Amino acid sequence: MTTSAIIQFNNVTKNYDNNPPILDEVSFKIERGKFYTLLGPSGCGKTTILRLIAGFTEATSGEIYFNGKKINHIPANKRQVNTVFQDYALFPHLNVYENVAFGLRIKKMKKQAIDAKVKEALSFVNLHGYEEREIKNMSGGQRQRVAIARAIVNEPEVILLDEPLSALDLKLRYQMQYELRELQRRLGITFIFVTHDQEEALAMSDEIFVINKGKIQQSGTPNDIYDEPINRFVADFIGESNIVKGTMIADNLVEFGGKRFACVDRGMDPNEPVEVVIRPEDMEITTEENGMLNVTVDSQLFRGVHYEIGGRDQEGNEWLVQSTKKSVVGEKIGLRFDPESIHVMRFNETEEDFDRRLDSYSEEEANGK
Amino acid sequence: MENKLSRNLFMIPYALWIILFVVSPILLVVYFSFFDIEGNFSFINYKNFFTPVYMQMTFSSFWYAFLITVLSLLVAYPTAYLVTRTKHKHLWLLLIIVPSWINLLLKAYAFIGIFGTYGAANSFLEFIGIGSRQLLFTDFSFVFVAVYIFIPFMILPIFNALDNLNPSFVYAAKDLGASKWVTFRRIILPLTMDGIKAGCQVVFIPALSLFMLTRLIAGNQVITLGTAIEQHFLVTQDWGMGSTIAVFLIFIMFIIIGLTGFRKRGA
Amino acid sequence: MNNFEGFTLEWYRELFHDTRLLIIVLNTLVIALLSALIATIIGVLGAISIGNYKKRHSQNALLAVNNVLIVSPDVIIGASFLILFTMAGIQLGFYSVLLSHIAFSIPIVVLMVLPKLLEMSPTLIDAARDLGASRWDVLTKVILPYISPGIVAGFFMALTYSLDDFAVTFFVTGNGFSTLSVEIYSLARRGISLNINALSTIMFLVTIMMVIIYYYLTQRSGTKGVGFRR
Repeated sequence: MTTSAIIQFNNVTKNYDNNPPILDEVSFKIERGKFYTLLGPSGCGKTTILRLIAGFTEATSGEIYFNGKKINHIPANKRQVNTVFQDYALFPHLNVYENVAFGLRIKKMKKQAIDAKVKEALSFVNLHGYEEREIKNMSGGQRQRVAIARAIVNEPEVILLDEPLSALDLKLRYQMQYELRELQRRLGITFIFVTHDQEEALAMSDEIFVINKGKIQQSGTPNDIYDEPINRFVADFIGESNIVKGTMIADNLVEFGGKRFACVDRGMDPNEPVEVVIRPEDMEITTEENGMLNVTVDSQLFRGVHYEIGGRDQEGNEWLVQSTKKSVVGEKIGLRFDPESIHVMRFNETEEDFDRRLDSYSEEEANGK
Repeated sequence: MENKLSRNLFMIPYALWIILFVVSPILLVVYFSFFDIEGNFSFINYKNFFTPVYMQMTFSSFWYAFLITVLSLLVAYPTAYLVTRTKHKHLWLLLIIVPSWINLLLKAYAFIGIFGTYGAANSFLEFIGIGSRQLLFTDFSFVFVAVYIFIPFMILPIFNALDNLNPSFVYAAKDLGASKWVTFRRIILPLTMDGIKAGCQVVFIPALSLFMLTRLIAGNQVITLGTAIEQHFLVTQDWGMGSTIAVFLIFIMFIIIGLTGFRKRGA
Repeated sequence: MNNFEGFTLEWYRELFHDTRLLIIVLNTLVIALLSALIATIIGVLGAISIGNYKKRHSQNALLAVNNVLIVSPDVIIGASFLILFTMAGIQLGFYSVLLSHIAFSIPIVVLMVLPKLLEMSPTLIDAARDLGASRWDVLTKVILPYISPGIVAGFFMALTYSLDDFAVTFFVTGNGFSTLSVEIYSLARRGISLNINALSTIMFLVTIMMVIIYYYLTQRSGTKGVGFRR
């Protein structure tokens, strides 16, 4: 199985001087040909992982493997990876063509080969005909494409992208999300994308690593991470969520907001204190009599596609609901939701324990049916 | 490792320059100030320096430097202010700065011509009926020429300070009811103080140690510390006394820099 | 200036027949070009060394040392260099003047180059390394081209500093060697002469030319590429 892992981190720690570590004993594997996203708030250590892979910085301890070979001390210019930088880092004294050709010229490639490759790379990013332009005469989106062309022209096995879309405006950002995903499919090489934008991560990735405080909190497909966040941080960081305190009464039965609800989570201790997550879009507004949980509306905002309604239940928990129906501030409304919409999280559960617990009862279910 | 080594190799010529041409000259000057004219170790130079002859020279040197600095500032501040108000301010600034690019000797030489017995200044005085008089080799002509030479150096930092001043501050002051004078006194002047300090620094220190102008323009009417150093090093060959005055000047220089902040001259 | 009787090129002819003066002009130019060139090389190395210090306060400390010769009065530089050369046993003349001019031009080159260096985004160097550039490639293909406007400006400043200098040269020049500034000074101490007038005009024109070239160069590097827009 290790053959498909192109990059592997074993207990990698990075700290500067005697400060607390930026990366704390991080281990993971990256498989060939997939689109990975390192997602987390600023300062969480995601860019440090990228810089370690690129070779701009060295790990304090732990091993980094590339294609099965340890690369801890190999300098950046000898690594088979290329980076697209947040500020693009295009050389201002060179034009578009020379920027893209930079890496090939370093390799002392023949003129004709360079010419063919640069033209091909530029057409790949829809910049055919821009060869002679100066960088300062290019728009943000165009610079972005030049930066990508400059990376892919070297045919690296891995491309690292350090928040490359953060400087673009919203429309262009959406467009580039499609283009990047499409580009990765066409090239078939590994992309490692760093972002703090959870929407971007969910939209583009095969696999997401959610990182906080120098540790990988959770890794998995966008669906897994959205639907089954491992802890409060992940639930809060990815998407909008209602997180309330509750008690796991027994398997498939949880208590919160002063009531008991059927749920699909199992494997916890009886009467264990837990946190409960329900996504705002999974709740439906109904009348007070029909509601499973009743709240008093205290705010309402019109968001275009829906209303965002905020309210409090009798225990004082805040609830956020997305609804196409309007309600009135000060009124009491009822909320309805399915057992599948309730997600229960244990306190301080590690990713391994979390996976093991989930696997145990999904296997049970499979066997039962 | 390779990184550190190449970095150190880069450093070598520059480090050599610092050691040979920045540190060691200062140390040598200090060292030489402890030798009398015969080459014996003594404190005689320092004793001499605190005699009335040198004290008076020091005092007059400071007085002229002060005069030159204040007069340059009085001319430069309004000029810089007016230049920032003009439409093509950078062109105007350039025109004011250009004379500072011309060799100091040429400027001094031109003034010898202008202030000479048959020069333009005397022709003018004669024309308005005052009659010609001795202008060259007076302290007036010395101060005049020195101020003329130093004005661009004073204008530049003040111009930059005024130019960097956010105009919103001035509008805000007016909006809050400040008069023009109060706006200048309470807003513009404090915010451009750094420029004034920088200007005074780049004028006062050289003015204290002028020696070429004192010889060419002032004759021997004005003897500054600079002139005395030149005299001791090149004429009387009393390097010890010259070094002592130099040590004093270096000392003063650090005090002034400490007072006005460490900045680069001009640009 | 006195006894003005009409225009004549007589004084210029005399100037150019004066081989002594011609040699002085050549000396001045050779000193200026050589000192500016060497000062630029050392200054660029110095700026890169200072830029390598990532901590702000070590940069400032080095800059303070760098600026000592800029804020020091000319007389002190001249006198202390005179002691230095005498102690080192270097004979006063061409080499002492050249070394002095190099010495006082280095800090100005550093001051012209360093801002460009600091303004350069560190990701540019990362990007070059990422694309396979060795440290030497990074220096020659990225850093030096990027800071070249600063290098050109520094070179020209060094050139004008050297051409302008009188005081330091005056101290370290000795007997056999002279530059234009020193020559004008010694002539002027003897009074007005039409010979100097002609010389002054030449120097004035050279200065103006330098200013124009300098502004042309900085202007061009500042707006580089606009002319190539397609």
